[in-house]
Amino acid sequence: MELIALLGLPVVAGLLCLATDSPRAWERLNLLAFAGLALLALDLGATVLANGPVTALGGFLRADALSALVVGLTAFVALVTAIYAVGYFRRDQRDRRIAVPQLRRYYVLTPLFVGVMLLVPLADNLGVMWVATEGATLASVLLVTFYNQKTSFEAGWKYIIIGSVGISLALFGTVLTYYSAVGVLGPDTAHGMNWSVLAVIADKFDSRAMRLAFVLVLLGYGTKAGLVPMHTWKPDAYAEAPVPTAALLGAGFINCALYGIARFDVLAEKCLGHDFPGKLLAGFGLASILVAAPFILAQRNFRRLLAYSSIDHAGIMVAALGFGGKLGALGAMLHMLFHAATKPLLFFCAGNVQQHYGTPFFLKIRGVIRTLPWTGGLFLLAALAVTGTPPFSLFQSEFTVLSAALVAHQGWSAFLFLAGVVTIFAGFLVHMTRLNLGTPEAGAPARAAECPWKLTAILLVAAAVILLGFWLPGPLYQLIQQSARIIGGVS
Amino acid sequence: MHPAPTSEIPAQLIALFAALMLVAQLLLAVQRMLLTSIRLFAIQSLFLAGIAAVVAYSHNAFHVYVVVALTLIGKVAFLPWLLDRQVRRMKIIQEIEPLVNFPTSMLICGGLTLLGYLVARPFTSLERLGNNTLAVAITLVLTGFFLMINRRKAITQVLALLTVENGVMLAAVALTTYGMPLVVELGIFFDVLVAVMILGILVYRIRETFASMDTSKLSQLKG
Repeated sequence: MELIALLGLPVVAGLLCLATDSPRAWERLNLLAFAGLALLALDLGATVLANGPVTALGGFLRADALSALVVGLTAFVALVTAIYAVGYFRRDQRDRRIAVPQLRRYYVLTPLFVGVMLLVPLADNLGVMWVATEGATLASVLLVTFYNQKTSFEAGWKYIIIGSVGISLALFGTVLTYYSAVGVLGPDTAHGMNWSVLAVIADKFDSRAMRLAFVLVLLGYGTKAGLVPMHTWKPDAYAEAPVPTAALLGAGFINCALYGIARFDVLAEKCLGHDFPGKLLAGFGLASILVAAPFILAQRNFRRLLAYSSIDHAGIMVAALGFGGKLGALGAMLHMLFHAATKPLLFFCAGNVQQHYGTPFFLKIRGVIRTLPWTGGLFLLAALAVTGTPPFSLFQSEFTVLSAALVAHQGWSAFLFLAGVVTIFAGFLVHMTRLNLGTPEAGAPARAAECPWKLTAILLVAAAVILLGFWLPGPLYQLIQQSARIIGGVS
Repeated sequence: MHPAPTSEIPAQLIALFAALMLVAQLLLAVQRMLLTSIRLFAIQSLFLAGIAAVVAYSHNAFHVYVVVALTLIGKVAFLPWLLDRQVRRMKIIQEIEPLVNFPTSMLICGGLTLLGYLVARPFTSLERLGNNTLAVAITLVLTGFFLMINRRKAITQVLALLTVENGVMLAAVALTTYGMPLVVELGIFFDVLVAVMILGILVYRIRETFASMDTSKLSQLKG
């Protein structure tokens, strides 16, 4: 029942926004829906921890610990984004950057986007998971083109075309996976594509078909996660979309794409052993980290910088899956949690700076901390947190991933991983200290007021980031451990 | 457990239709007129529906008939109509010169067909329908990707994407006999429909803002 409510609530809220004409009502409907979603997600987590997997609609929907984790992270990101969006779009309206119809587009499409996104972790059927992944992309295309500029259409076009090409490969892979199982399944087509059914019998799959299937699926879902070399849509889409949408894409949707990869990885490892899928995953992961590094060093636009950081983190999680073992699985899950908790802060602070100074370029902005003390200070904190500086939590997960590589005797991989992560840390530090701490240009306003809505969202995320650095709540850790056990192999 | 091997006449029909799908694809690769390209896509989809119909009939599989109906309504009638209307409304007739000229395109597509057969070879013994349908499916996907890179008009790129989708659906029919569960087929159908409509909106807005449909002009965002 609660699974249906999780999917239904945002969709109903989106449709209600279509029915009313008042911007205040849109804001409230979105806030209410996402607050309700957060409660439902908490409840789902508790239920799964207490009673194991939950199913609904005759097994069509299914949530185990991994699903509950992804649902919880998505709900968290959606809630803080909704709070931030109120302040962000009111400011945009005051600056006459947007008109009311655009605002309606945002408030109608965002809940739909979140609803479809939640179907990805909740669908047991791999085909439905594919449909939901593509559906979430389609729901967000018109959000990426929100500002109706030349550059927004360019970004939107790249987003949908590259995404659709990638995801058609994933469909081919899904079909091949199903095919490799048909011999074992017999004519049971109703449940034949359900992950929970396939995971039990994966060792009997046709291995040649499964090998090709995994490559295609990794390319497909990897496109959505932004792995190199399928990442080229990401900087454009993240920089052109309004900040709340970029945050939802970069901290929410990315987990759904990685979730798809993790589910197929379980099937592939059971059928082919760890070697083949592990090498592929580690290769794509390390390539993503290493390609992102120089782009971060030389970046001039801080919105695009965030996109490259997201490519880097997708790479870290995929590499963790590739290193494998208990540590790899645990590292990937911890990283997913910590990344989703930290990333919104970075997006929100970047959004504040861009709105205040009217430009996304580093060159034109100095000394944010003097003008916007909260934003500047927390932007710096977020930059330290996201690059894995101790005591922040991403240090723990990156350290776990590094240990996984060393335990698996992949010394070179560990070295490359470390080199990439350290370079990115250096790049971030240089850019961010100059942006936030430098001396402001003469004539710049001494101090500006922070918007209360945006500040609330920022402080909420900052509290979570700081808290997670010192304390991981017991139930949350249990959920992580159970998820790690699922992707470490079902038995 | 295993469905009975498809008997002689249906198998030949399937092979014939699959070959005709490939022919439509190769013609599309060297077609300059946009309206004709849309027709070719409709014809290719018609053959796909034909294959699904043969499968549904010879295996008595009811839900594959639904796939036939969806393909006919969506890909043979609705999408071509939608694209046709858009092309007429924007008054564009011809594709501009592609990156690689037509004779070379044909050669490359021939090479990709060979590659498709090579990739499919290890699986032919396992194919439920035999007769190289998987090879054709892989070829459609590969040549579809080539078309997307080679063509510059946004509409032709959309068509190329749709032929890739045809290839994947052919693989689904060819490999699994009974097709995928109905809810998945419905979902895919819905996704493709929505995708083309959104692409249509974007094509229209791109043309309005750039005064052109040439996607190689979409090159402001870098780094």
